[in-house]
Amino acid sequence: MKAMNRRKLFTVCATIAVASLAVTAIPAQAAEVGVSSSEIKLGMTLPMTGTASPGYNKIPGAVKAYFDYVNANGGINGRKLTLVVKDDQYVPTLAVAKTNELILKDKVMALLAPLGTANNKAVASVVNPGARGIPTLFVNTGFSGFADKKKYPTTFSLLPSYIMEAKIMAEYIKDNFAGKKLGLLYQDDDFGDDALAGFKQAGLNFDVKVAYASGSQGDKVSPAQWVTKLQAGGAEVVILFGVSSATAAALGTASVMKFAPQWILGSVGGDATTIKASGVPAGVLYNAVGASFAPATTDTADEYVKLFQEIYLKANPTETFDNNVMVGMNTAFLTAQALKAAGTNPTRKSLIAAIEKSGKNFASAALVPLNYSTTSHVGYNGYWFGKYSPTGDLKPAGGVYTVYTTDSGNGAVVKSTYKRPAMPAKGLPN
Amino acid sequence: MFQLLNTILIGITAGAIYSLMATAIVLVWRSTRVINFAQAGMALLSTYFGYEAMVHFNSFWIALPVAMVGGAAVAALIELVFMRLLVKRSSTGPIAAVAPIIATLGLLGLIKGLISTFWGGADVRLVGPVTNIGYSIGDKTLAFSPLKLLTLCTVVVLMLLLTVLFQKSNIGLSLRASAYSPEIARLSGVKVDFVRTLGWSLAGASGAVAGMFQTVNGNGAFSPESIEFSLLLISGFIAAIIGGLESLIGAVIGGLVLGLVVSFVLMYISSSLFFIAPFLILLIILFIRPQGIIGVKAARRG
Amino acid sequence: MDKLKGANKLGLYVVSGFILFLLGNRVDELRVYQGASIAVFVVAISSIILLTGYSGQVSLGHGALMAIGAYSAVISRNSFHTPVILTFVIAVLIAAIGGALLGAAAARLSGPYLAGTTLALAIGLPSLANQFSILGGEQGIFFDVGFPPPSLGEGFTQYKWFFWIAALAALISMWLVANILRSRFGRNWRAGRSNETAAALSGINVSRSKILAFTISAGVAGLAGALLSMTIGIVSPSAFPLTLSFSLLTGAVLSGVSTLSGVMIGAVTLVAIPEIADAVATRIGVSERLTTNLPGLMVSTLLILTVLFVPNGPVEQHRTRQARKAAREKH
Repeated sequence: MKAMNRRKLFTVCATIAVASLAVTAIPAQAAEVGVSSSEIKLGMTLPMTGTASPGYNKIPGAVKAYFDYVNANGGINGRKLTLVVKDDQYVPTLAVAKTNELILKDKVMALLAPLGTANNKAVASVVNPGARGIPTLFVNTGFSGFADKKKYPTTFSLLPSYIMEAKIMAEYIKDNFAGKKLGLLYQDDDFGDDALAGFKQAGLNFDVKVAYASGSQGDKVSPAQWVTKLQAGGAEVVILFGVSSATAAALGTASVMKFAPQWILGSVGGDATTIKASGVPAGVLYNAVGASFAPATTDTADEYVKLFQEIYLKANPTETFDNNVMVGMNTAFLTAQALKAAGTNPTRKSLIAAIEKSGKNFASAALVPLNYSTTSHVGYNGYWFGKYSPTGDLKPAGGVYTVYTTDSGNGAVVKSTYKRPAMPAKGLPN
Repeated sequence: MFQLLNTILIGITAGAIYSLMATAIVLVWRSTRVINFAQAGMALLSTYFGYEAMVHFNSFWIALPVAMVGGAAVAALIELVFMRLLVKRSSTGPIAAVAPIIATLGLLGLIKGLISTFWGGADVRLVGPVTNIGYSIGDKTLAFSPLKLLTLCTVVVLMLLLTVLFQKSNIGLSLRASAYSPEIARLSGVKVDFVRTLGWSLAGASGAVAGMFQTVNGNGAFSPESIEFSLLLISGFIAAIIGGLESLIGAVIGGLVLGLVVSFVLMYISSSLFFIAPFLILLIILFIRPQGIIGVKAARRG
Repeated sequence: MDKLKGANKLGLYVVSGFILFLLGNRVDELRVYQGASIAVFVVAISSIILLTGYSGQVSLGHGALMAIGAYSAVISRNSFHTPVILTFVIAVLIAAIGGALLGAAAARLSGPYLAGTTLALAIGLPSLANQFSILGGEQGIFFDVGFPPPSLGEGFTQYKWFFWIAALAALISMWLVANILRSRFGRNWRAGRSNETAAALSGINVSRSKILAFTISAGVAGLAGALLSMTIGIVSPSAFPLTLSFSLLTGAVLSGVSTLSGVMIGAVTLVAIPEIADAVATRIGVSERLTTNLPGLMVSTLLILTVLFVPNGPVEQHRTRQARKAAREKH
């Protein structure tokens, strides 16, 4: 009797298993995954919740705002652009799981601007979009390695690498703060290592270095310790080379501990809106040095800033137009051009080929050039420096953008002569 | 010297808040023999009550009691509706050992889910009643501010109140009696049900204070996923265990030991050791005294 | 009848294996991947059932034991290029050693103290990886069990390979655990669980028996950890959060904490709930906030309802009902 029941139960369990597994699969049909006659589907992973999310969680809204603008103007060759967003909480294992979902369940054509160095590395190694021919466009990280076409054949970098940023920053420090005691706060992973490599190459030595743990546990537990260490080490100029939440935590804690060195903020965590939104008084930011490759978000005389701001605020009237939004919309703008260039029936292959062939001529809001070619997947390669205004907005020194460019190797830092081409009509791909 | 002083100050402030949380856990343990994993969730909910009061009245001194009363009410409700049913339904069989743990873990998830559904996942903000700008010695500023001082004072006052309550009335004894042997306690005239609910409500109120102060002592922002509240859960629980689970003074000692050791480890060894330090402290203490610092030996078979 | 059971059972496992094999060929890649996840949970949950349901000890730290298994596997695979099977065996052995140590400590502790220690372990141990560069820090180490053998054909995907390995491991470990539970050890555990003093009087060394339970449970958990990191491809602290330990307990309770045969229920539920929540949310079109919170709310509610109304699990419930019915029929 007992044995029979057990068997019956086993059958029940097996049936549940079968049923749960056998829920219908969608048969493949179209010419390319994620591309139908009316739609092109793209997927993005980034932290939408959790410690590291502030600031970055506005990016999908920015991308969608621009996509909707394109869709309202006829889409890309009649196809609407859709973005599927997955929250990875800045945790690599979750990024892997969510990317799997994007590819297997949502069946996206390409991955767009997935965020985070460690996350992208994990995805590249485990999900391996490279081997599967899935384009990974404009990764939202400055890790220099992602531009390596051999290792990551379908990945395109966009942001200037952390090595470039560190090299240019080192040059700026030598010019402006020679002889001062230097402090550095960096993230204890590949993101930080890339920066350290850049500083080392530029021959910059720090008097105090403080590493904070990346990931979910990181930056809310010990800012008082970071600041104490920087202060005890006598740092006069402090570089914050971390994510937004860590940058904000350091600035906020420093302000209550009345520690006010000359701050230099890295581009990753230097978004003023995010810092202010986490409770740091705008005054703390005043006179801090920051870097960007896009025009200042308050520069409404700039045609891109004007248009992007208009589109974004129409779609999200209660939000603030900030640097994360600006860069997000610029990424969406590049994506639309890439898809347009990939032909009337875009495929994963033709998309990659299109960026390699004409990517360096894509219109873009940035003040530095794109460097795509059949041999290079490097995006932007430079920065301009500015100071934060009393209201906490990053503005170029003297109102003029002085752009420096370099490479991720041992090339010199040079003043750029790049002149940005005019924006195409209505800011749409032509 | 400056660094050492700051390390101690950071440790004591953190430890004081852990003590409060540990107290909440001890109170629930003493009244119902349950380790309440939902305590941090309840503290979070109370802090949201405090936030709502702050929005309406714009005063921390109204928000704090609102959070405490709200926390106490929620705790009482959970004890009345949920824990009694639990004791009735699953106190026998192989599940009995894990039922309370599982049930309170379930509650934790439920409370967090409801909070995120109701208030959303975005950060909201509390502002402390006094400044968090540190006191200065010479040209250096300490990691200790009027707000931190207020935190310490509040914890001391609360602890004194609880101790007086326990000593002047026989609540402390009744709590223990109700937990150990409800039948005998009932026969000897203890209002067992009332005492159990009281234990939970006091815990709810101390958790609320812990939540409010943990939040304002950080950057003031919190959300359902705030790491501060996971820390409260873990640190409060570990502090309670270190202290021996049975006494308020144990909870305070446990909290301070934990706060100080963690602060020293973060400052002088590595900031990525945050989660290992408590484990090692716990292991060492339990290795020497399996019943915790102030624990009662016979009581550990709970 | 009882004598026959052992042999029958083995047949049953073989048949189940064959069914899974056929199934694996018929469903799409996503389902195959989910199938592998279910198999991983089956192994992990059975380790909890063995420990808590049979030997009566609570562990909130099985995530940490899984981490031990996973790190042992990845290090032996990456540094010594061990073959796949040996890799998993090593994971089992090293996790079992960890479990024996923890079990020895656990034998001194009880109730909340044990819960506290294992909880601290679950939080503390995985982050040890940040301290030693060989363990890869927060980013972790990539774990590659290699591509499926070419003899399996072109269309044989990586995920199907994971599914095969995980399902096979699950079947083997279930069979072993079921047999251990029916052996003398299993009986000793149950005796110790229901009455320690009585068990000791009847000649059982209770604390040794408890340590043994911890050791075996840890070995099984270690296997689960290695399998988990195989399916996600990385071994890192973030793969073993506290919530993992909690979900294992959840799975065990949903399965029925003392009924190994219910383990599928818990495993399938854990994997299926996000999907079900997703479907429900799209069907009835709730707000975005509710959509993101629905899976969590569903798991918690299910857990609370189970503890309150089916405390010993669906299988036990069913059995009791059948027994009652049988008793009534007799009278």
